Amino acid sequence: MFSDLKSKLKRIKERATPQIRRPFYIGLAVGSFLLGLVALGLANTESFFALPSSFDGQATSQAIWGLKPSNLMMVLPLGSFLVVLARSFIGMRAFGLFTPMLIALAFLQIGPIMGPIVLGTSVLVGMIVAPALLRLRMTRVGFLGVLISLIVLTLVSLQMVFDTQLQVDAFPVVVCALVVERWWRQWEKDGPLDAARIAFNTFILAVVIQFVMVSHVALSLIEASPILMPLIIGIAIAILGRYRGLRLTEIGRFAPIWLERRRIARAKGPDGEEVEIELTLENTVLAARQDEAKERAPPLEGMWIINSADDLKGTSKRRRVPQAQPNSEAQFAARIGASGRPLKHNAWIIKAEEDV
Amino acid sequence: MYMDIRRKILGEKADRRPVVDRGPPLERPLDEILGINMRNALIAKYNPRKAIEKARDKVAAKVALEAAGISCTRTIAVIDDYQTLAAFKPERDMPEAWAIKPARGSQGDGILLAVAKQGRNWVKGSGTVLTSEDVLHHIGKIVDGQFSGDSAAEDAALIEPLIIADPGLADLVPDGLPDLRVICLQSEPLMGMVRLPTNESDGKANLHQRAIGAGVSLETGRITRALQGGKPINVHPDTGSQLVGFEIPGWDRVLEMAGKCGPAVGLGYSGADIVLDINDGPLVLEVNAHPGLEIQNINQLGLKAQMKLMGEDFK
Repeated sequence: MFSDLKSKLKRIKERATPQIRRPFYIGLAVGSFLLGLVALGLANTESFFALPSSFDGQATSQAIWGLKPSNLMMVLPLGSFLVVLARSFIGMRAFGLFTPMLIALAFLQIGPIMGPIVLGTSVLVGMIVAPALLRLRMTRVGFLGVLISLIVLTLVSLQMVFDTQLQVDAFPVVVCALVVERWWRQWEKDGPLDAARIAFNTFILAVVIQFVMVSHVALSLIEASPILMPLIIGIAIAILGRYRGLRLTEIGRFAPIWLERRRIARAKGPDGEEVEIELTLENTVLAARQDEAKERAPPLEGMWIINSADDLKGTSKRRRVPQAQPNSEAQFAARIGASGRPLKHNAWIIKAEEDV
Repeated sequence: MYMDIRRKILGEKADRRPVVDRGPPLERPLDEILGINMRNALIAKYNPRKAIEKARDKVAAKVALEAAGISCTRTIAVIDDYQTLAAFKPERDMPEAWAIKPARGSQGDGILLAVAKQGRNWVKGSGTVLTSEDVLHHIGKIVDGQFSGDSAAEDAALIEPLIIADPGLADLVPDGLPDLRVICLQSEPLMGMVRLPTNESDGKANLHQRAIGAGVSLETGRITRALQGGKPINVHPDTGSQLVGFEIPGWDRVLEMAGKCGPAVGLGYSGADIVLDINDGPLVLEVNAHPGLEIQNINQLGLKAQMKLMGEDFK
């Protein structure tokens, strides 16, 4: 089975065109770069499940990763950089633009495991209550306001259940309420599957950003100088943000275009003939329409209508066309083949002798 | 071959559009698909911010389109604050069949349609009864900006008479309003498709909800390929009508109209949504400043290749 997959991948690789290949390699490189940074961050994590009471007064981010609370702001550029990578190279869809980054920042203050738990519970409570709230027919602002109160309630109860030192106050409550609202709208529009996928993407991205933010590389960069991190990241985003190629997920999305073409190209012989027949069939349809159009075309006023060369010989065969009566009912009648295309005469219009 | 016959029927003059020789389909380069990143770059290049704002606001877009002589649906009322809403009496002001749309809504969010009047109430396409109160509440939600994305706090509700689809096209579908989408660069049409509602899509022409997307050849106005949920089909699953080969009535007029829409609003890269009305012929519903890319999958053609043929340098 594994070798099957391998040969299949090899075949796909051989067939892939440069437009497919380039973004694939770029996306792969970006993906592995991110994974590498995540691994570094994981390696730097001292304890995964620890409650803040055990840190005797130290901030969670410092106790677990050695990231000073005053330096929390410094990791924000890194987070935005990752959001840019995930969006324009990989093509991950998330709720909001920088929402995953803000969530990741909250994770840093709450803890690597406790953070996702807090987020999960508060969003879940919001999701369960939202349909009932929607039925109350509130305005959007009112709905968000109630959601915020609810999420705060959840956070307080979590604080009581787990640990009173749990730093949930820094949790981006508003962002959370917006995520819940977006979730419901996505659900209504594209169904639960799509909404769940985007929610999952948001969550994964937040976790990835969380661990990248606390890798040794990032921390030593921040320690070295406060201007280093924003400067490097700013320049990097300015360069990479100009990427105009396909995103990694778009390769899958547009794959049918080139896959199906290949299939058609392979089945050349009989297929080509079929197309030929179809065309001629359509030609006959068009020819029939041509006759129809000729019949339907209203006569022109005061002109000689000549349908064939014989008509030119004797004056008897030419006929002067009577003027068409304006029909005020015509606009209400059914329009046969209401194409709006002007009906053309198939007759020669002769106004002077030279025209003959 | 199509073109020869077309010329024969319509005469040389009928070819207003410069016909670009796109070559036989299979020998075209595959390096031609337009991705979201590139599309965004094109939008930044061709669509000024003001024009995008105008296109996003259906009321402003309608004013601009009508000023350029492009026919749109008639307007019953525009309600943009609670004062106007308080003075608005659905009973008195609404016809039998109507559509309420948020001026700044996207992707069909917040659109309410009534197909008939029943006593003092109206009936939705699905049969649900709408009272005057329901209507006012919906307009209130729109005015609050509930359907207008995160940025807008307030919005206007646009009330229009319901469009009755031209049977020439609507006979293909069981229910709902088929709409035509033409993507243009400046005034040059690049690619076209028709979105056909199905029973599964609940009468909506939304491809995500399993409406049919059918590619339309720009030259002939015929459906070349139809897809439902990513699978190619030949006939409509609900009505059994033959889709592939069907000629869109009045396609020339649709293209002509679509080419005018972008410049009228100020957009260089645009997607026009056009419907065929039974009385008024083609009407512009909306001009998109960020037209979607799914049309490439439906036509099995890349927009980038079409643009290259138009002389776009992608810089």
